[in-house]
Amino acid sequence: MTFLEYLQSRRDLLIAQTVEHATIVLMSVALATLIGVMIGIASYRNPRARAVAVAVAAAILTIPSFALLGLLITPLGLGYLPALVALTLYALLPIIRNTVVGLTEVDPALTEAARGIGMSRLRSLATVEIPLAWPVILAGIRVSTQMTMGIAAIAAYVGGPGLGNQIFSGLANLGGVNSLNQALVGTLGVVVLALVVDLCLGLLGVLTRGDRRTTRRSRASTSGTRPGEPDAVGALAKGPALAAAANTQGGQR
Amino acid sequence: MTDDVMIELQHVSKSYRGQQTPAVEDVSMTIRRGEIIVLVGPSGCGKTTTMKMINRLIEPTSGRILVDGSDVTSLDPTDLRRRIGYVIQQVGLFPHMTVATNIGLVPKMLGWSRTRIEARVDELLHLVGLEPGHFRNRLPRQLSGGQQQRVGVARALAADPPVMLMDEPFGATDPLTRDRLQNEFLRLQEKLQKTIVFVTHDFDEAIKMGSRIAVLGERSRIRQFDTPEQLLSNPADQTVAQFIGAGASLKQLNLRRVGAIDVDEAVLVRLDDTPTSALRRLDESGEWAVLSVDSERRPQRWITARDLDPQQDTLDGAGGPVTTVELHATLHDALDAMLASSSGATVVVDDAGRYRGVVNIDRLMRAIAEMREMQRNRDRPVTESPEGTATRTPPTQRSGIPATGDGESR
Repeated sequence: MTFLEYLQSRRDLLIAQTVEHATIVLMSVALATLIGVMIGIASYRNPRARAVAVAVAAAILTIPSFALLGLLITPLGLGYLPALVALTLYALLPIIRNTVVGLTEVDPALTEAARGIGMSRLRSLATVEIPLAWPVILAGIRVSTQMTMGIAAIAAYVGGPGLGNQIFSGLANLGGVNSLNQALVGTLGVVVLALVVDLCLGLLGVLTRGDRRTTRRSRASTSGTRPGEPDAVGALAKGPALAAAANTQGGQR
Repeated sequence: MTDDVMIELQHVSKSYRGQQTPAVEDVSMTIRRGEIIVLVGPSGCGKTTTMKMINRLIEPTSGRILVDGSDVTSLDPTDLRRRIGYVIQQVGLFPHMTVATNIGLVPKMLGWSRTRIEARVDELLHLVGLEPGHFRNRLPRQLSGGQQQRVGVARALAADPPVMLMDEPFGATDPLTRDRLQNEFLRLQEKLQKTIVFVTHDFDEAIKMGSRIAVLGERSRIRQFDTPEQLLSNPADQTVAQFIGAGASLKQLNLRRVGAIDVDEAVLVRLDDTPTSALRRLDESGEWAVLSVDSERRPQRWITARDLDPQQDTLDGAGGPVTTVELHATLHDALDAMLASSSGATVVVDDAGRYRGVVNIDRLMRAIAEMREMQRNRDRPVTESPEGTATRTPPTQRSGIPATGDGESR
């Protein structure tokens, strides 16, 4: 059976798995955004808290994904939940890191002006600081999305959903009839999906920018169309830890 | 305390943890309604800290600050700040908001209706000299530095606060723009009569802007708190004198405005007059040149007999360039304009740029002589020791009540 014939014969299953894959990635990134931005906001004013938050998130990222997924079986069992938890944990670092970088890089004159005209801390965050840090935060979200796309494939190992199931069954039946097709369709599916989602997030960036922030930094950090490391490095010129972490991750995939 | 007092600092100090000497030590000062008080001193002397304690951006360690009779520590800091206009050197306009949104922030926080905010924004843009239709929906980065600072002032004025704090507001602009902004602001202040605390390290700016000036030394100790005239003619001690710098007498030219002295009249001709008639006017008047004005009476060029070409139909383009000063300009500006002009005289114009008169070097000398005379009369009751550590009578010309911190001259 050729690759195309395989695609046609398993059309429904493959579409379902692609949707599952995208769903779990987007869910975990959404969760990680919520948690990560909150951790970033809570810690960015205090250098020590900031360092701890980033270090912990970086440490999590260095745990091999097989190991983390395996460890999570004991408390959470098999299936969807451990996969979601593991992916969320992995997605945290770029988001925390970029939130911290984005917020600390807001011009101090602006936060002072916000305070000086009578904005409360919360109002200043909501109307001034987060909107200004948003392009950098969004860049972190994009990096996280790319990373979790790859790791999500491994989640099939603990019975998780998605295209990883194709890869694993292909590898399990090595030498079998469709083994190569399965591994290939799983891998290519993840790559294509990653590109499509990144494109969507890029569009989101353009839309939420409202054509208002065209500083060189924010443009550089959101315009990379290549997924993964280059974007991470571009977004975080000040974040060697993430670049290193992203490299580790690349090795794992 | 009288009704006249707007801000009062009572023995205010600020020390930071881990620092042996306080940043601000025992400052007392009384600021009256409608005054521009300039805090001037070398960088790092604590002048900005002193100012920021008024709207509680920095909390004092000890002492009391009263704004309009109430202790600031008894008020909610955000409420307090919404009632005090705040302008900083970096302007601090939010780059992701339009000019209108920026200006409307405080009214919005105070819960004004949308239509009221819109009307107020347009009113303020007019006030600071920016055409609302043109600027309302622009983003800050599309404006020049001077325009941004105007918007910054408009934002601070938005909710019509009685008090404004300004931290080197014109410090980041080029000298020409700074001069224009200063003049515009003084004109504005004449209308608005706000109580203003103005921080600068530039003594010339202090002289120009201040109704009274507090020269601060280390730890924000007040070395002298006086009117500009008194500061220049009677510095309290060596340090103040040094800070004033050389040319104190020249700086006194900054104390009088062109509008306050008598001006001469020039012989005016209209641009569409014929050279022959202009020549006749010139001969009749015996002046060395006539001034051509357009239909709005805006001065155009100085025309001497040599510039007149009888072949031409009109005076368009004939003659040499004219330098102008506004009524608000100081005599210093006028002298500057005179020196720059080939004619040795400068034309005084009103806000709309229309001709009001001419000032030449003779006029200026007479005005200076007058100032000297006034000063001599005022200084008469002063008993002065040679070192300048004087027991002075309170300044009389622009202020009546001596500052509480004034007795500290050492």
